[in-house]
Amino acid sequence: MNSLISALHKGIDKSGIDRTKISVPSDIPFVPGVIKELGVDYFQTPRGRAIAFGTGLKLGNPGLKVIPVVGDLMTLGGNHFVHGGRRNMELLVLCVNNFIYKKIGGKPTPSMPAAFSPYSTFEEPFNFPHLGNSCGAVYTARWTALHTEELAQSISEALHKRGLSMIEVLAPGPDYYRDINDIESDILQFYYENAVVKNNEDPRNVAITPDEKIMVGKFTDKERPTFIDSYNVQHSKILKDKFTPHGTVSQEQKASGDKNV
Amino acid sequence: MKANPKDVLTGTYYIDGDVACGYGALAAGCKFVAGYPITPSTEAFEAMCRRGPQVGAVFIQMEDELGSMAAVIGAAWSGVKSMTITSGPGYSLMQENIGFGAMVETPFVLLNIQRGGPSTGVPTKTGQADMMQSRWGSHGDYEIIAIAPESPQEMFDYAIKAFNLAEKYRCPVMIMSDECVGHMTEKVVIPEADKIEVEPRRLFKGPAAEYAPYKPDPDLVPKMAKAGDGLKLYITGLVHDERGYPVKNEDYKAAYVRRLIDKIKRNKDKIIEIREEAVDDADVVVVSYGISSRVAIKGVEIARENGIKVGTLRLVTVWPFPDERITELARKVKAFVVPEINYGQIVFDVARCSHGHANVVLVPHGGAGVHNPNDIADAIEYAAKEKKKIQGVVEHKTRLEKLVFEGGYKLKE
Repeated sequence: MNSLISALHKGIDKSGIDRTKISVPSDIPFVPGVIKELGVDYFQTPRGRAIAFGTGLKLGNPGLKVIPVVGDLMTLGGNHFVHGGRRNMELLVLCVNNFIYKKIGGKPTPSMPAAFSPYSTFEEPFNFPHLGNSCGAVYTARWTALHTEELAQSISEALHKRGLSMIEVLAPGPDYYRDINDIESDILQFYYENAVVKNNEDPRNVAITPDEKIMVGKFTDKERPTFIDSYNVQHSKILKDKFTPHGTVSQEQKASGDKNV
Repeated sequence: MKANPKDVLTGTYYIDGDVACGYGALAAGCKFVAGYPITPSTEAFEAMCRRGPQVGAVFIQMEDELGSMAAVIGAAWSGVKSMTITSGPGYSLMQENIGFGAMVETPFVLLNIQRGGPSTGVPTKTGQADMMQSRWGSHGDYEIIAIAPESPQEMFDYAIKAFNLAEKYRCPVMIMSDECVGHMTEKVVIPEADKIEVEPRRLFKGPAAEYAPYKPDPDLVPKMAKAGDGLKLYITGLVHDERGYPVKNEDYKAAYVRRLIDKIKRNKDKIIEIREEAVDDADVVVVSYGISSRVAIKGVEIARENGIKVGTLRLVTVWPFPDERITELARKVKAFVVPEINYGQIVFDVARCSHGHANVVLVPHGGAGVHNPNDIADAIEYAAKEKKKIQGVVEHKTRLEKLVFEGGYKLKE
């Protein structure tokens, strides 16, 4: 979490975006001090609803930059991500993947590769970058908590992408059942030894499996019309001058350095 | 503040309740609608989708009702008036975020066109069985406001009132309509914009450093803010202090949740709207809401023809409940008759408030239709004649119930 926060700081700075225009809906509790320091608006939503909440924020005020920070993406709220990608809603989804619900005593999540629960798991985990890419995300990347510089770079790039971006952050979490599962080293050490940077790798090939190296890097970077773009095109076509395009940029927003609205 | 003329379709129309409610919401300044289509509420969503983009309102068909409700709350925090539209099954899915909305004191409006339940029930026909769900549906203690309109004209008028109440008390407001009113087509008069009073958002206008999102004004309602104003908002569904920061201890919990409840309870007199008719010398008072109150008119007429002194009390706002008024009437009248399209929901609140002073008679209906007015008249007659005090609620056996149950839960051939 600390690496993510420091990467957020650096990434936002690099992007040049006004922090007061950034909203962070999240189902993960952030410490108030962190939010104050980040200088953003923070909303702790019910579990899994950060992306849907962010959709409302973005459509209500298209001048906002919305960064939903979600825990295990694909359990509660998976559908919101899938449809967010399909619509290409302008959100930067930060998916903190620690493979285990640490706070509730180490229960496995759907993203967990076999090896991290008392009796190991027998379910196939999700490959988030592949999922994001298939749903239509314009930007997908994966970094571990050790890659703060790269993560910050990704955040700043993704903040300027028009559409849904998804960055998976592999965080240290699965401490609980390390002994039982014969993972002796510290998990960060494990990431350090096993993460391999493979930018532009086909997202289909980057699934995390217990026996192979963990591939990190930027996997998707493409352009597609956003939800608001399509909304405006469609309604202008039919309603002609009766329709004022949504999210027309105000001078104030231009002055704030946000090039993306 | 007056409504924006651009948002108001002034004129006289022949439209259904769903559409009237949509026009009312837009007239109130609603600028964001998220929903997922569900019978019998779809017409309201369609009306807003058709008209909305012409007046700068954005609509989105979300992936489900969980997402719709979350997006509506998100939009409210971005600074716009927002609403969602649904019916039974969707309403159940929304409960999670309704509790969140109430907890973080978000103004929004929810239109529930009730249909026959439980579960999928009878999607195309009416019901009034979500009334308790509107009050208690999400977990934990909280208060909301619920309104039950009885005609398309009222759907328009009370859509505006719902938005005004939501803004005034920073809480979710439910329009608990039903399929009959939603699909009933009648004359609706939409006045000029300058005749429509619209409540602006209670925004904080001071130095950012002084803002506390949950510091209440004297009426117990705190000032609202919106994202993007540099206020470093910290908004959480955890129990929080005035700054919005999470706290765990008992006294903060008590103080915060008590205020959530009291901001509605203490302002009850300003919120509650009831319509009474001929209650002063009545022996029996019919308490009803929504479509049942229109059906009851005929039942009351029949009873009056038979020489019974009947008054009516219509709950326009169902929640908060007019406890004091019911108690007051209970001391004067012999009995209350409560027709509702369910097997007893609001009737228990009437019984609770009558404290055993008056008998309480329920005229039940299973849904997918409305009462036969003769059943209501019979129940009134029974209530007027019954001399002994009866504990609890008496259930009146309607013609339909007799038809169904005399054959042992089987319909007769």
